[in-house]
Amino acid sequence: MSSTTVEQKRDTATSPDAGLNLKPSGRRATAGSDAESLTLKGDMQTVGTVTVENPLFQCKDVNVYYGEKHAIKRVSIDIGRGEVLAMIGPSGCGKSTFLRCLNRMNDTIPGARVTGSIVLDGQDIHDKRQDVVQLRARVGMVFQKPNPFPKSIYENVAYGPRIHGLAADRIELDEIVHTSLRRAGLWEEVKDRLNQPGTSLSGGQQQRLCIARTIAVNPEVILMDEPCSALDPIATAKIEDLIDELRATYAIVIVTHSMQQAARVSQRTAYFHLGDLIEVGETDRIFTNPRHKLTEDYITGRFG
Amino acid sequence: MIEGHTSRAFDGALAALHMRVIEMGGLVVDQVREAAVAYTEWDSKCAERVVERERTVNAYDRSIDAEQLTLIARRQPMANDLRAVIAMSKAVGELERVGDESKKIARTVIGRGSRPGSATTRDARHLGRLAVSLLRLALDALDRIDPALATEVIARDKELDAEYAAGMRRLLTRAMEDPRHFDVTLEAAFVLKSLERIGDHARNLARHVQSIGRDASTFPAAGLSTSSVTPQESHS
Repeated sequence: MSSTTVEQKRDTATSPDAGLNLKPSGRRATAGSDAESLTLKGDMQTVGTVTVENPLFQCKDVNVYYGEKHAIKRVSIDIGRGEVLAMIGPSGCGKSTFLRCLNRMNDTIPGARVTGSIVLDGQDIHDKRQDVVQLRARVGMVFQKPNPFPKSIYENVAYGPRIHGLAADRIELDEIVHTSLRRAGLWEEVKDRLNQPGTSLSGGQQQRLCIARTIAVNPEVILMDEPCSALDPIATAKIEDLIDELRATYAIVIVTHSMQQAARVSQRTAYFHLGDLIEVGETDRIFTNPRHKLTEDYITGRFG
Repeated sequence: MIEGHTSRAFDGALAALHMRVIEMGGLVVDQVREAAVAYTEWDSKCAERVVERERTVNAYDRSIDAEQLTLIARRQPMANDLRAVIAMSKAVGELERVGDESKKIARTVIGRGSRPGSATTRDARHLGRLAVSLLRLALDALDRIDPALATEVIARDKELDAEYAAGMRRLLTRAMEDPRHFDVTLEAAFVLKSLERIGDHARNLARHVQSIGRDASTFPAAGLSTSSVTPQESHS
């Protein structure tokens, strides 16, 4: 890690707005439940192991500010190869914000500031030499609402490889489109209508088309932001089965409002609360025996 | 009936759980068989083996428990899946208690007890065989999730109960004829009782199997493939 990282860390630790998001006065004095008093500690310690043996992403002391708002507070977590990491937590807890740090999507938001270090495969993604377009090819993203381009099914998948120059000729491009659609479990359904618009597909198919589009540029990580919230249960089950298959090849980070979905698809789960990373652990353990009271309250539906 | 989910990982988890329960069942059947042999042949080595292996049975019980907890938390089983998971949990409870009964029988041989007479040995051997075959049948029903086979187990448990009652009557008669060996008779009564209990657990296990299959068989659309079903057909 570079020396700038250490300085950034020190900066945020002493920055005047470090504790801004805590509700002022009263809370510290009342300290009703254990859970609440725990959240009051300015220096929130994440429960569980945040590191993994074979990390692809290493995030250390990541802070995100939207103007005055301190949206992510000193979050440290590794993302391993071949795993699905689920990020859960109530609305506004920062899980999507953190996800968007991983491919620098927050850069596009005015007033957003990210500190700390996010290292992908040994290289800091905030390094000046880092090409953001290249980064987003390595770290693909699938969004809540399927958003195919207003082009044919074929072109939706071919677009990425074409702009990144991944195919030498039409034959290679065809091959990439074919493999990507097959991997996304969509090939059988669309092979006879590749020239029809992507928007003519059903919602679940569109989402799988978006996944095909993402994997067409050969990423290492796929970020998914609520990929199933606009889909029916059957389409959801198909995507979940696909996620389970894709994790052999890609690291996957999924943000979901459905903790049942997190339980079904992930190997590790991270619970966020008001910008703090409260707990990280094996999904098996988090959903049967969480250590932090806030985690337990959330997953048992006793929140708030 | 356990396969066929869109999530193949769920299929895998359920099948793995099912297999573990059957595995534990195989071990427990062996425990009953060996415990009965240990008693009838008065083989203390064999008895010690049973007592030793009881730990393995308990380990199965604990680890399947944990697996089930995880499966419920991660897969949220519904309908027949939910019934299957709960039934398997109860089945494991029955198997664990069968293990306990086997250990009790084996302990008789290792402890200060003395060898039963030939008539009692005959009764114990007979009851032991019945208990083993009943338990095997119940496990078969669980393995195939076959409610019809489960019904057969429940019927055949009555047979074992009758044999037990007859055996106990003979034991009592002998005790009254010659009360000097009352301690041996009392021990023998406990052993016969244990074997009878094992039959009851087999019967309970069969009931749990029925609870998985029961409702599914009365489904209007049971056995029809979704593509060929029209609403009219499924209601007829």
